[in-house]
Amino acid sequence: MTTSSPAPGCPAPSCPAPGVRIRDLTVVYKTPVGELPAVSGVDLTLTPGTITGVVGESGSGKSTLALSLLNAVQPPGRIKSGTVEIDGLGDVVKLGGEQLRQTRGRKVGYVFQAAQNSLNPLKTIGKQLLDLGRSHEVDDLRALVRDAKDLLARMGMDGARVLDSHQHELSGGMRQRVGIMLALVLNAQVVVLDEPTTALDMITQATILRIIREVHEERALTTLVITHDVGAVAEVADDLAVMYGGRVVEHGRITEVLGAPRHPYTQGLIRAIPRLSGDISLARALPGRPPTLGTLPAAGCVFRERCDKRMEICETVEPQSVTLDGRTVACHAAGRPLPLVKRKEYA
Amino acid sequence: MTRSRGGAVARRVAGHLIRGLVMVWVVATISFVIIREIPGNPVQGQYESLIQKGMSPEQAERATAVLYGFLPTGSLWDQYTGYLGSLLHFDLGRSLSTPGVEVTTLIGHAARWTVLPVLAGTLLSFLLGVTMGVYAAIKRSGKLGDLLALSGSLLHGVPVYVIGLLLTAIFTTLWPILPSGGPVDVEFVPGLNPGYVGSLLQHAVLPVVTYTLASYGGWILAMKSNVVAVLGDDFILAAELRGLKRGIVFRYLARNAILPLFTILALSIGMLFGGSIFIEEIFNYPGLGLLLVNSISSRDYALMGGTFLVITVGIIVANIAADLLYTAIDPRVRSGGSA
Ligand SMILES: Nc1ncnc2c1ncn2[C@@H]1O[C@H](COP(=O)(O)OP(=O)(O)O)[C@@H](O)[C@H]1O
Ligand SMILES: [Mg+2]
Repeated sequence: MTTSSPAPGCPAPSCPAPGVRIRDLTVVYKTPVGELPAVSGVDLTLTPGTITGVVGESGSGKSTLALSLLNAVQPPGRIKSGTVEIDGLGDVVKLGGEQLRQTRGRKVGYVFQAAQNSLNPLKTIGKQLLDLGRSHEVDDLRALVRDAKDLLARMGMDGARVLDSHQHELSGGMRQRVGIMLALVLNAQVVVLDEPTTALDMITQATILRIIREVHEERALTTLVITHDVGAVAEVADDLAVMYGGRVVEHGRITEVLGAPRHPYTQGLIRAIPRLSGDISLARALPGRPPTLGTLPAAGCVFRERCDKRMEICETVEPQSVTLDGRTVACHAAGRPLPLVKRKEYA
Repeated sequence: MTRSRGGAVARRVAGHLIRGLVMVWVVATISFVIIREIPGNPVQGQYESLIQKGMSPEQAERATAVLYGFLPTGSLWDQYTGYLGSLLHFDLGRSLSTPGVEVTTLIGHAARWTVLPVLAGTLLSFLLGVTMGVYAAIKRSGKLGDLLALSGSLLHGVPVYVIGLLLTAIFTTLWPILPSGGPVDVEFVPGLNPGYVGSLLQHAVLPVVTYTLASYGGWILAMKSNVVAVLGDDFILAAELRGLKRGIVFRYLARNAILPLFTILALSIGMLFGGSIFIEEIFNYPGLGLLLVNSISSRDYALMGGTFLVITVGIIVANIAADLLYTAIDPRVRSGGSA
């Protein structure tokens, strides 16, 4: 397909992709023992026009971070401090009411983690698409429907039939692709995808990620793809952020992060995946279990319990993020030469 | 796809009709057995008393058959098939307490005094309960929400006759602004004149309000819990994340929360029909409930069986209507799919 954008958002290449700057973001959830941070003092910059992958075990705060980009953290959670600056929108943490609503969907497209359940069971997909168009004052609804069908066709579905269907007539994977279509169809310039391919088989998963990459390039988007599967994003992302216990512990160009991981957690994650470590016999699961809100240590490094480079200082002092050559790492032991397993080339 | 949907609807209706007919048959059989087997068999009694009054056996037999819809003599099977046969012709026999009048005529007169108030009460309580239920759910962490939910719980727990008695005490004795009973004041000429219609409406207020309050509590509680459940559903959050207008998100929420209520609509109508027995007696309202009560106290068995049968049919019809309504708005049922 060629881009026949009816342009509710901003069609490429006339306007440049927006940058996203998250600064010192802390998001807390209210629990019986008080407010506990699911995201702690996160700094993360999404370079305009890039795809940033976010990986980390379940519970590391990826979805909470993603929701913050839309100022949509749900109670009992709230953004306690920090800013999320998006070019052209300002600090979304300060947005509210009608302004925030218009931003959602139109300026920032979002694929919900449970995208299989993101549809109204009582309405056809087509009607929900029209609701979306009307909510964002799209004048040419026919063009919107045409674009939706194009996107669905690219993802391997019969667009007309899908638009005519109710949710219960579609499989989990089809619903997930409908969720992706709804996030892309308004030409939002920032797109956030929270585990967009979990309900898909390996081959469809690869196809969908490739299509996301294509659309991203055609429209000059700034994209955030969240996954707990490092292998899945390795093919599509430009940058990679690794989250652990509500912190971004490592962030940089994906080839560099995967090629020469500096944080012990990143190293452990990569070692755990045969297709990245290169040799099945060398694949080793990360020992221990990821922390939950309640088990996060109050002081020191959050990863130290599972860390093979643990030092005395890790017990008491939280490592600060240090940026060197475009790579950010938060580890007392980083910077020292680390033994590495044999690996594939990513360049 | 459209054809398979039509087929699914037809199958549901057929299923309902079959179940309904079976129920009617069961109720008819039960009332036959009651009339026939009740101590001092009324059919036999009637037959004998007519003969004592000097009728010939043939005359007495015919007169009794007219009264009850089946022959007083003959085998049980003949009596039973005779009874079912006259049912098929909508012949429910004749009343004993209002001599000579057909049971169907009496029921026809009484039905309007029950059906209209029950439907009005159902509609009012549904609208009121659903609206208040949404408020109670949205304001559930505030005083107003608590108050609304409390009003629902209280009314839900109070038996319908207590509500009726309380309303009579308040509005006809303590603060007498409404008539205490009967369907209409006798001084007006029946017809479409303001005096008569006004009097009709005035007399209908208390019964309708009683029906309304009797089921309002159930609606508000059910709607509140449905709204709270749907609010927690992923698709509502997803709709907000897509920036859908508040009004649209609200419609998504309301439609999904109301839908399950239609499954209990029939139940509620049935309950109100049952409640009419108490309500019509309290307000001396000449509907089916009062007819049933009077037929029992005057041992008018043909009338009793007939009224009972008609109330049963009413509940069955309400069930079918509610189910069709549900089918019309839930696409998952409409397509006969496994949702
Ligand atoms: N509604 C909530 N109430 C309390 N804690 C929550 C809630 N949602 C998420 N959390 C906690 O916040 C942490 C981060 O969750 P999440 O952002 O969903 O992580 P991820 O997407 O990486 O799996 C987890 O420990 C999770 O238990
Ligand atoms: Mg998540």
